[in-house]
Amino acid sequence: MATVKINGKEITVEDGTLILEAAKGAGFDIPTMCYHARLSKLASCRVCLVEIVGQKKLQPSCVTPVMHGMEVLTESPVVKSARSSMIELLLANHPLDCPVCDKGGECELQDVTFKFGPRNSPFGERKRRFHEEDYILSPVIIQNINRCIQCKRCVRICDEVVGASVLGSIERGAKTGETSFVKEYLDCDHCGNCIEVCPVGSLMSRPYRYQSRPWDLKGVDTVCTYCGTGCQLTVQARNGEILRVISKPDKGINNETLCARGRFGYSFINSHERFVTPMIRKGGTLEPVPWNEALKAIKDGLTEAMKDGRKTGGIASGRLSNEELYLFQKLMRGVFKTNNIDSGSRWNTGAVKSFANVMELNKGGISVYDALNADTLFIIGSSISDENPITDYLIRRLSRNKKMNIIIASPRGLKLDSSATLSLRHRPAAEGDILGGIAKVIYDKNMDKLKDLTGKEHLKNISRENIPDLTWTDWSSIESVSGFMLSANSITIAVGNDVLRGPSRIESMHILAEALRLLGKDVKLFPVFDRANQRGAWEMGVHPDILPGYSFRDGDGLGSEGIIDAASRGEVGALYVVGEDIVSDFPDGGFVREALRQVKFLIVQDIFLTETAKMAHVVLPGASFVEKDGTFTNQEGRVQRLRKFIEPQGDAKADWEIIASIGEAVEPSFHYGSVSDIFKEIKGAVPMYRGIDFEGLDGNGAIVKGSGIGGQGAGVVAGFSLRPKSEVRSQEQETPDPEYPFILITGNHLYHSGRLSLKADTLRDILPEAVVEMNEEDAKAMGVSKGDKVKVKGDRYEATLTAHINKRSVRGVVFIPENFTDVPVNMFFTKGKGFPRVKVLPLSSLSPQGRGPG
Amino acid sequence: MLSEGAVKEINELTGKYANSRSVVMPALYVVQREYGYITEEGMREVANILGLRPIQVFEIATFYTMYNKKPVGKYHIQVCTNISCSLLGAEYIVDVLSKKLGIKVKETTPDKKFTLSAVECLGSCGTAPMMQINDNYYEDLTEEKIEEILKSFR
Ligand code: SF4
Ligand code: SF4
Ligand code: SF4
Ligand code: FES
Ligand code: FES
Repeated sequence: MATVKINGKEITVEDGTLILEAAKGAGFDIPTMCYHARLSKLASCRVCLVEIVGQKKLQPSCVTPVMHGMEVLTESPVVKSARSSMIELLLANHPLDCPVCDKGGECELQDVTFKFGPRNSPFGERKRRFHEEDYILSPVIIQNINRCIQCKRCVRICDEVVGASVLGSIERGAKTGETSFVKEYLDCDHCGNCIEVCPVGSLMSRPYRYQSRPWDLKGVDTVCTYCGTGCQLTVQARNGEILRVISKPDKGINNETLCARGRFGYSFINSHERFVTPMIRKGGTLEPVPWNEALKAIKDGLTEAMKDGRKTGGIASGRLSNEELYLFQKLMRGVFKTNNIDSGSRWNTGAVKSFANVMELNKGGISVYDALNADTLFIIGSSISDENPITDYLIRRLSRNKKMNIIIASPRGLKLDSSATLSLRHRPAAEGDILGGIAKVIYDKNMDKLKDLTGKEHLKNISRENIPDLTWTDWSSIESVSGFMLSANSITIAVGNDVLRGPSRIESMHILAEALRLLGKDVKLFPVFDRANQRGAWEMGVHPDILPGYSFRDGDGLGSEGIIDAASRGEVGALYVVGEDIVSDFPDGGFVREALRQVKFLIVQDIFLTETAKMAHVVLPGASFVEKDGTFTNQEGRVQRLRKFIEPQGDAKADWEIIASIGEAVEPSFHYGSVSDIFKEIKGAVPMYRGIDFEGLDGNGAIVKGSGIGGQGAGVVAGFSLRPKSEVRSQEQETPDPEYPFILITGNHLYHSGRLSLKADTLRDILPEAVVEMNEEDAKAMGVSKGDKVKVKGDRYEATLTAHINKRSVRGVVFIPENFTDVPVNMFFTKGKGFPRVKVLPLSSLSPQGRGPG
Repeated sequence: MLSEGAVKEINELTGKYANSRSVVMPALYVVQREYGYITEEGMREVANILGLRPIQVFEIATFYTMYNKKPVGKYHIQVCTNISCSLLGAEYIVDVLSKKLGIKVKETTPDKKFTLSAVECLGSCGTAPMMQINDNYYEDLTEEKIEEILKSFR
């Protein structure tokens, strides 16, 4: 600890604290321009100079640490005059075109000048001028380098946090400016973080250009609903029209960073394509009706449809709030008397149950910052850089100055690979076998200490010999990963939801974690989800075998696949789908369409007329995330508030209100007046939420706490069966068919998530159409380069797409994002057969010559 | 496109430096030699070989004045006009060259043979006034000497 005197005030701080921070602690505000708390230190602007008593030269407080006994003056005459001169130098070349600058009113240069700056300037020289008109740098950025003050915050954030490294300082001396390579159009993350950190109006947001002054904006702090990272964001509107989304330095785990989806993905809210009245199918077409009529139709329809013992079922999205999901399962279980419920339709219901179990979700949440405080971080089952961009940014930023071995296992090359110590490329759906392989090596090396390891007999199926075939990864890589784990004291294993896309072999995860724990390691398990409230959905019990609070059961309830199967046999009388487009998601587009035709009564609640909604008997207009209240539980298990900012459009209603009114129509006691009432009930039903104060939730939310439920201890539930085996060989595991040399995998894109993002015009501008991503060598072998049109052909479906190249992806795999309505990738899939095999035909040539690996 | 030899040379350079960003400067000299100046294509190629982003090469290329961002003549004459050389008549040297070549500073002769530049100290103050033509120094310059030198290049 160091005790220092700042402007005469004594303060004791940690050794190594910067003078700037210490002064802030003592209540003295030192102005800064180039300093940014979460970026590397630069100290170029010298606006933060302070006087250290006894030293002749002033020192920049943003890089100078305190020393015990130091006496610092931040407001002495020499400091004041030096500071004012530094600001004067910044202004000497600044165009001072504030009246036409988007930054006006929230510009750090304006503020600092107003507070500390000179009141006049002797400079008469011509100002430097790079260009007359502002120029467009990307779909989201417009630049005026004349205003740039060379703080390099943009360069640093793009390199150190985002990992795109597309901005730089060009020229030298007074001519320096920060921009892109030869000022070309940027091919980057389009995250807008450079805009956010630019202190002046040099980098500006295109969608927000000339829209408003900051003081005319009203905003609300809420949570992003595009992925499981759960970033805090501030939605701002003028006269009720949403104009931008920003992030604040002190809010949320993302502090000030957002990805393209979070920052620019809001305009679907005002899309004219939304449907905003309930509709009932009358003679083939959907006709608008008032709510009471729709509810009556639902009540009658349900009674009719459920005759003759037909089944009912419900599928709700992992993008609804906890309150909505809780009510949904209560409605299904309590009113419709069924356990046939699920969240989403892309995943294997059994795999979900194993995952929730193996990942020990019932032990409560874990902050991402704690998770990243480990010697070794192993990431598997997630295209994390694309699906959870801010999780990727956090890992990159936090690992920069820390000794943490990052190991990534994925079929696709990821941006985060550049921060990794080791990247494994593996066959799709091989996650379980990779985890098993690692466990096997660890077990073999420590047999004496691991005598009591549960499930060790399953490791017998994995060997040096069969690993390459099972996983396309060689044994020595598996050994290296084991080596990193064995040499670490603390290990975090982050597992993404890609492991849920098939019958899971994820149970080996449990054996691995057990083994490491028996060896005395601190093991943390961190789930990574693409749906913002996926974790909440399971915690609220939206799964046939999971009751609220992870009360696991082995019942006869059906998950999505079971429901759709039953529907195809004509056994489903009524199906209620909320916020999911199962026709586009279920991995067999042809089958699900046919099956839904057999459903007697289909109710779909959404905000757009999705492919599923188009087949419904009744459609109900739900609300967007800014039109309702509630809570979301992100992948960490952090409960955050969703806050209502504007009224739902037209006759649309918050989804919880709709669920409640359907319940009430059938059973009058099913009545809920407010979200906080529902949350109160959740606290009773889900012990993990007991300690959470709904009204008190702030920008940091609250992490759910584990608790034993129904006599079961926290952690892996007793009686849970381990099935780590490779008996189920699905299509992707069979010997390659030379006719169809590629395995097709799907997932979310960096710029799109789910289906809503496509309705946000800025995101659609960034990526308007589906692409197919393939390995560089594979592309070369076919003579395909980036941007070429290719035809991807499977045995049931084909699509013409633009090729993208991923240098680091595994050979023999192609990836198509699952977000585009006009390229329904699920049409390639055949139910029960795993990932489809496809061929790729360059459109210029007719001869297919794609080669798979080996 | 860089020649095979040039690519090989850059690849070999990587062995001599601790990280790929350090290789950018010598690699840019290779580009300059190959293309005659620093081309956009050349910068992209360097970035590609070194596993960097083009901007990371561009930053360096624009920072240093020794990299020609525009085409130059076959012989690039750089006259030092910094303090020592100026005291000993650098401006006169520039005038002489300018007259003899028929071009002003920053210009290239129509036959693309000579480009004339005025540059900062070339570290040879002891033999001022001086100039550099491509990779060689010409020192203690006088009008006669310049005449001879130019003759040898014509
Ligand atoms: S938008 Fe993001 S990725 Fe693109 S330049 Fe800015 S910070 Fe870098
Ligand atoms: S563009 Fe903005 S953030 Fe980047 S260096 Fe210039 S002033 Fe700083
Ligand atoms: S990382 Fe996820 S939660 Fe964060 S802004 Fe992007 S989409 Fe939203
Ligand atoms: S803020 Fe300290 S030098 Fe810029
Ligand atoms: S001043 Fe000309 S060489 Fe130094």
